[in-house]
Amino acid sequence: MSAVMESVGFASAVKPHEAMLQAVRALADGPLAELADDIDRRGIYPKGILQRLGELGAFKAHMAMDGATVDFGAAIRAITEVSRVCGATGFMVWCHDVCGVYMEQSGNPALTGSALANHVAGHTLGATGMSNPMKTFAGIETLLLKAREVEGGFIVNGALPWVSNLGPDHYFGAVAVVEGDNSPREVMFIVHCDAQGVELRHCPSFSAMEGTNTFAVRLTDHFVAADKLIADPVRPFIGRIRAAFILLQVGMGLGVAQGAIDSMWQVERQLGHVNEFLEDRPDELQAELDALTERTMQLARTPYAHHKEFLIDVLDARAHASELSLRAAQSALLHQGARGYLMSSAVQRRVRESHFVAIVTPAIKHLRKEIARLSADEMPA
Amino acid sequence: MTLALVVEVAFKSFICRACGLIYDEAKGDADSGLAPGTRFDDIPDDWACPLCGVTKADFEPYEVTAIERRASAPRQTAGTRGDAGVVIVGAGRAGWQMAQALRERDADVPITLVAACDASVYDKPLLSVALARGLALSALVKEPAASAAQRLHVRLLPRTHAVSVSTQANTLRTTRGSLRYRHLVLAHGAEAREVAQLPAALCWRINHLDAYLKFRALLGEPDPAAPQRVLIAGAGLVGCELANDLALAGHAVTLLDINALPLGSLLSEAASHELLDAWRGLPLRFVGGVKIASVEKAGGVCTVQTEDCQRFDAEHVIAATGLQTPGRLAQSAGLAWSNGIAVDAVTLRTNVPNIHALGDCISIDGQALRFIEPIGRQANLIAGHVTGGAGLPYANRRPPVRVKTGSKGFTV
Repeated sequence: MSAVMESVGFASAVKPHEAMLQAVRALADGPLAELADDIDRRGIYPKGILQRLGELGAFKAHMAMDGATVDFGAAIRAITEVSRVCGATGFMVWCHDVCGVYMEQSGNPALTGSALANHVAGHTLGATGMSNPMKTFAGIETLLLKAREVEGGFIVNGALPWVSNLGPDHYFGAVAVVEGDNSPREVMFIVHCDAQGVELRHCPSFSAMEGTNTFAVRLTDHFVAADKLIADPVRPFIGRIRAAFILLQVGMGLGVAQGAIDSMWQVERQLGHVNEFLEDRPDELQAELDALTERTMQLARTPYAHHKEFLIDVLDARAHASELSLRAAQSALLHQGARGYLMSSAVQRRVRESHFVAIVTPAIKHLRKEIARLSADEMPA
Repeated sequence: MTLALVVEVAFKSFICRACGLIYDEAKGDADSGLAPGTRFDDIPDDWACPLCGVTKADFEPYEVTAIERRASAPRQTAGTRGDAGVVIVGAGRAGWQMAQALRERDADVPITLVAACDASVYDKPLLSVALARGLALSALVKEPAASAAQRLHVRLLPRTHAVSVSTQANTLRTTRGSLRYRHLVLAHGAEAREVAQLPAALCWRINHLDAYLKFRALLGEPDPAAPQRVLIAGAGLVGCELANDLALAGHAVTLLDINALPLGSLLSEAASHELLDAWRGLPLRFVGGVKIASVEKAGGVCTVQTEDCQRFDAEHVIAATGLQTPGRLAQSAGLAWSNGIAVDAVTLRTNVPNIHALGDCISIDGQALRFIEPIGRQANLIAGHVTGGAGLPYANRRPPVRVKTGSKGFTV
């Protein structure tokens, strides 16, 4: 550990996040790789790994805390390094990272300051219940949580089907529609899992995501005070953070694809003579992945831009990452053959992880629909 | 000699040829009762792979050597999975002409046409003379898209947006999936130039059939009892032709331009005056030398305000303030750009070998040339290159242009 800390201190003088990324890579290749099968098949929640990632600084590269340089690219690369080894853990890093964005961008003193400091250090762990709101704002669903405005806050009722990275001492961002208002209005807030009127219920088993502590959350007359508010109104806030939300997710796809390519090379010496008959060979996939990574890093320089062409680029990069991880994971299985098909093999686990990358909100179909909507010519009505 | 007996031999690894399990002598295998440090040679012959159960004889020495990640040899596979052949983006005149020219030269090459619109075949120049010629809206479509696609044996993706090009994978990314191309031909044309003072939600941009049909549906027939006022911003070719056509049909038209005279950049001052004379007697009022400051809409009426504080009310506003080439695809593909997609003047090839472009989206020596006549020649030339035959070099020349202002026509 001291060696790691020393190397952090040394390298940070040169390139602020390179040492963090090296330490994250070492953690992923070591303890996380050991645990990945247990996370997948025994549903072990890797709390220690997440806390260690916090200690290593993996949750703060994209935060403007203490006057630090905001580097979304480094945050995405950290998610990539984790997802390369375990897609479920990479997903939870995204959940936690994007919760940090909600808190920071809320401007609410009760959610910034020490609460945010504990969050980015991994002392407390957060999540996001935004699948339903994101689909609602894209015109695909309607909001599941209902809020009633009362003295000093809101009373919220309703249930969210599955929220990941939860636990009794965790919290997550959520959105409810405010009832009684003539024009549609929503509020966004933090829910603490141990608060009154919050109940976690177990979900059916989830392919590749058993270790993500995913629960259904039922809110019954849950009181949201001003100190928990992230945004009111919500739509301008979502408009501001939407690209950042999606950009961070790209890291999951980049990582799953890279893990798949790595496993193709593992069998190249033994099986190259038959694998040459396959399409999607590792060198081709790597070239495509490298170009997509470079494109993502470009977009990550302006995570809070929100003009139309930029948004389309972000949505397209996210879709490309999904499609590439599907193809790479599939091809890795074909490259490895029976050994990759063993239940203990990361190769078949990664096939399921790639499916998750492709279906988690925003899924490929959502992304395409939204790109089509943004691309359509606007005309007078 | 006795020294050699105490030299430690480094631990080795052995790999199961069936399942890839690696037996590491240093770690042993606790499940089989093999202590760390157990040499492979010392394992009983009846030992089985702990993972898949094959015998010791099915293991071979395994050396952990880094694999050099180099490009593999030229592909032996046909690589036809998802092959979209020649992919054409755009189903205006340039896109369809391209498909036709390709099919005439090669009966078999797969052709995929990606169109943001419904891909109906039509003549864009007719949109600005349709009223005067008494063309029914239904007659504007020369051939339904599905019929043209069938005739030319083209896979058509209508209402599909081309999003980006991944040149490493020779893939066009679209809102209906990714297309792997052998050749990509960009024929997506130009779009109305964005002008902040003329918001798209309030101002029509008559740049394709879809927009024209919607505009005409809202405009309705001229009704003396309830006259519809149309304000057109921009008195270039399109603005003047549309103004002329709408006025001939009896609509009340106001035409604004930043220049003092209509078609100021194309015609001589005398000719512009001839045009104004010809418009006398039509419900067409030209106001030159004005710059629009804002457009606002209230109660179904748009109010256009100029920078010199003149106000014009109209039920419909049309922006005809010029074209620009959308840069999204070119940028993602890393194409050279100069006021449009820069193509070679002779081959019409971009700086990426298997990407060509034609029509309104290209520029040659920094000049866009947005005319109908060259499109057929461009399509033939590209089809020649793409199908491997030799084509005539492209001669870049500006064709004569007929200004279709029915009251007074000009050829420039």
